[in-house]
Amino acid sequence: MKKINNHIFHIFMFALALLWLYPYIWLLMASLKPSNEIYTRFWPIHFTLEHFRFILESAEKMQRPFIRAFLNSLFVSVTVTASVVLTSSIISYALAKLRFKGRNKIFNFLIFQMVFPSFMFTIPMYILIRNLGLLDTYSALILPSLMSGWGIFMITQSYKGTPNDYIEAAKMDGATDLWIIFKIMIPLNKSAVAIVSLFTFIGIWDNFMWPLIVMKDYNKMPLSVLLASFNHEYGSYIGPILAGSVIQTIPMVILFLIFRKYFLQGISITLK
Amino acid sequence: MVTKMRKREARKGLLISSTYLIYAAIFWGYPFVWLVILAFSRWRYVGRPQFAGFRNFLRIIYDPIFWKSFFNVLNFLVYYIPIVLIFSLLFALALSKLKYGKTFVALSFLVANISSGVAYSIMFSKLFAENGPLNQIIYKLFNTTIPWFTSPQLAMFSISLIVVWKFIGYYGLILYSGIISIPKSIYEAAELDGANKYVKFFKITLPLLNPSIIMVLVFAISLSFGIFTEPYMITGGGPMRSTLMPMMVMYTSAFQKLDPTYSATMSIFIAFFSFGIIWITRKLFEREVEIV
Repeated sequence: MKKINNHIFHIFMFALALLWLYPYIWLLMASLKPSNEIYTRFWPIHFTLEHFRFILESAEKMQRPFIRAFLNSLFVSVTVTASVVLTSSIISYALAKLRFKGRNKIFNFLIFQMVFPSFMFTIPMYILIRNLGLLDTYSALILPSLMSGWGIFMITQSYKGTPNDYIEAAKMDGATDLWIIFKIMIPLNKSAVAIVSLFTFIGIWDNFMWPLIVMKDYNKMPLSVLLASFNHEYGSYIGPILAGSVIQTIPMVILFLIFRKYFLQGISITLK
Repeated sequence: MVTKMRKREARKGLLISSTYLIYAAIFWGYPFVWLVILAFSRWRYVGRPQFAGFRNFLRIIYDPIFWKSFFNVLNFLVYYIPIVLIFSLLFALALSKLKYGKTFVALSFLVANISSGVAYSIMFSKLFAENGPLNQIIYKLFNTTIPWFTSPQLAMFSISLIVVWKFIGYYGLILYSGIISIPKSIYEAAELDGANKYVKFFKITLPLLNPSIIMVLVFAISLSFGIFTEPYMITGGGPMRSTLMPMMVMYTSAFQKLDPTYSATMSIFIAFFSFGIIWITRKLFEREVEIV
């Protein structure tokens, strides 16, 4: 009896997992159906790529260049992530391994910064970007996120757990600080660095309110804002809108599947 | 010799960290100062800000739309917190009981969490549409349809449901990592004293999970005050302002009504409320937990 119950429980959990995946599956299917079948059939009579073709070709004529927007998003996310990872791994080294006055003050300042919700800075940050004359430029999307207090905090915490012996030994061999950071600290703290890069990348890719405020130029819009404006203006083009949503979702899902180990570690967990 | 090395190290440390301090001064300190200036002035992006005392604060206190948006957050919390807490707890317990397929189940729930705000809002607005797939199933079974996003009573509930979909895996895994860190010996000792399943759950698991539960609650409350994308994309704040969130009111007053001072003051209010509710939650539910 217990065995049967256990099987039922497992089947139930798998069914729930599939139910959780259902919206994604439905979205992907719908983007591949002819328009008249989106709401009428789950499994289409034949698959079609017309919506993707529409999004990637015709939308250009409607002033909604999706390919460009995709590349914009990629460019901004990669730039910010690279910058955050680079600066965080170097600054964290100073905060975790170099002794100097005020080190703890700086660390406490990082924690203090994290207390304030980001929405408090939206309006004043807009004024700063406006005063710098950077509205409608890529800099407006990149500069406010170039360094991350949270990233420095995470990597510093991880660095503190690395024994000093490694560093001392490398110094004996005459290693420079940069060599120590890139050849010792980063490889030994791979998961913290990976978590910071993943969460930064996804956060920027997903960012919507900020680019909506500072970017009015269709050619420089990230995908999230362009998709929202397309949905707003051309709401009746359901197929292409869903295809656009697929294009925005898929890169994140791929990243997630490749780096799933780090996601689970990021939630302080390893699934056996 | 040693002191010279020490000095060099200290100089280097200060030099490296000062890069961050300079960055933070420009992109955190400067906006922070502006936030304070805006809260006490009248200004419409042109000329110099005029000192206005507490005028903005009074305007907000007497603004029904602000209070409407504030109560909408409370309304969201009333739906979201119990649903997400109970189900992520059940999910975490189920995950600890699974013998095989654990990773598959965990990842299926977690993949919802990486969905992009705009794309998933569009996805659910179509899924829950008047003639969408969900309503078609309900129509076949019960011969009626549910106005998910078009009824003022239901719209906020529907939005809280899709946010639950997004976050259950994430919160559930936080709770799960709390569950697996509880030593088995405690349960064994309780079994020797004749504790049944319910006693074990309510007297051991739940109290020892307190830190993880508080963490989830803090995350959930902070998230609720910052919601923007879902109502902006799906309902536009309607029907009848039932899903108008503070972020949307801030957005419209700053960029459509050209009133940044009002917006900035509002963000201070909202942050204050969010701190307040988190503080009350901690006072009420946080317990010191020690595993001896």
